[in-house]
Amino acid sequence: MNHATWPARVILIVISAVIVWTVIAAQRGKKLFIRRIPGLTAIEEAVGRAVEMGRGILLSSGLGGIDVVTLQALAICTNIASAAARYGTKVQMPIYEAALLPIAEDAISSAYNKAGRGDAFSSDDVRYLSNQQFAYAAGVAGMIQREQYAATFLFGTFFAESLIMAENANMVGAIQVAGTPSTTQIPFFIASCDYVIIGDEYYAATAYLTRQPTLLGSMIGQDRVKIGILFVVVLGFLLTLGKLPLVKNLFEDKDMPAASYFSPAKGGK
Amino acid sequence: MFQTQHGAALYTHLAGAAVVSVILFFALTLVPTKLRRPLIMGVTFAAGLFYALEFFWPVSGPEGDQKNFLTAYIKPFSDITTVLQSFALGLGVYSLVSIHMRKVARSQSGWAYSLVLILSMIVMVIAHIGKEYIKSPWIQQLNEFAYSGLMKSLDATMFSIIAFYIVSAAYRAFRIRSTEATILLVSAAIIMLGQVAIGQAITNGIPNEGLTANFRVENLANWILKKVNSPAIMAIDFGLGVGGLATALRLWLSLERGSYFEEEL
Repeated sequence: MNHATWPARVILIVISAVIVWTVIAAQRGKKLFIRRIPGLTAIEEAVGRAVEMGRGILLSSGLGGIDVVTLQALAICTNIASAAARYGTKVQMPIYEAALLPIAEDAISSAYNKAGRGDAFSSDDVRYLSNQQFAYAAGVAGMIQREQYAATFLFGTFFAESLIMAENANMVGAIQVAGTPSTTQIPFFIASCDYVIIGDEYYAATAYLTRQPTLLGSMIGQDRVKIGILFVVVLGFLLTLGKLPLVKNLFEDKDMPAASYFSPAKGGK
Repeated sequence: MFQTQHGAALYTHLAGAAVVSVILFFALTLVPTKLRRPLIMGVTFAAGLFYALEFFWPVSGPEGDQKNFLTAYIKPFSDITTVLQSFALGLGVYSLVSIHMRKVARSQSGWAYSLVLILSMIVMVIAHIGKEYIKSPWIQQLNEFAYSGLMKSLDATMFSIIAFYIVSAAYRAFRIRSTEATILLVSAAIIMLGQVAIGQAITNGIPNEGLTANFRVENLANWILKKVNSPAIMAIDFGLGVGGLATALRLWLSLERGSYFEEEL
């Protein structure tokens, strides 16, 4: 079982405090700027294209269970569903994890209600397929071929099945936007999709789409933390050059006596 | 309380758990709408706090087996999560069966496939559960046929299709349309050549020592993988880690709910 070391406790608490503080500041009305992110702008373009073509939209939240990554994917999908519902475009969402089904159904139905089109929502559109990786992939591929979607959105945790889904969508001429924290799948999405959301853009998506103060604050908080960590990386580099590996010692897996953190490196490596 | 039970004690615990679950379920349905949000926020916070405290609380004991007063409860709490998730499996099966039964009943397009799916589900359930309780060889054979003979083979077939999709996706990605696509093509070509003997043979004449060794294709491929690809992946992971932490904090403190479930808090 992993447990925090003293430096990890301090660092995590400081990082969390910075993020929560920025969220609270944003909720209190502080104006925050967010730059244009091409991959996220493409979401609106893809929804628009589906509306023009009069064909449906496929949303997939990947193979994750109820975790942070999948809930973020669901948040993005809900925003897309809301935009699609506003224009009367059908949205379908196959589910991999049964436990996610009621949450996804509730979220997508709320998105329809928010768009004033609650009557257009059908519970069949959010459907459980399978919790077997390739059975799910085959099911999604079948849906893509039958429904001939105009746009597909693949957000969440993906593994080898990513290419099966993306290539089938490409075959039917769907515009594709994908985003995943699974770094091993990013190259496959880049090769097969029109737009890919990379890295922390994945967590910025909801802030970008909704411009809600809470989410914008969280995003700015993340940026501040990253700037801070970057500063620590540079400091660590300089200190290690001076044979004082303080920063390296802070990230050791076990606690050390306080004086050891400042002890000079042995061997000069 | 969380010890493994056997015999009569097991059935007593199961009955007790079922009664408590039913009472809890009805109690939750009686909660006034106004109180539901604070209740969910409270439960979410308490559940998150348990794992946070267990991680942050100072530990003691021999190295490799360090514990604090909460560590012993990690497994039972994980089991509770598993039990809650398994309840949802019924919902998933209901969703799947109802959609396909309706399709069959209304003879909609592709109804035969829906029928195959329902029949397959029934056969698989009978075979998989039956093999545990029925010692007859036919049920074992049915399970072997359905699981190893069909399902595993179908899984392997889907997996092998990826090889063809990789080729078609790579063809589109590697077409020289922009500077980025050209860089992608050149790096991919170097890495592919660096991984195979025939590629390595191209630069075999270059000495593997001194400055010239850098121009051998396998060394170039290695350099791209270790000095360009790995730091880029680490940078992506770094951003994702911070993003994940921020999202987890929003969920834990119920700041996130406004983004998709309800209006902004």
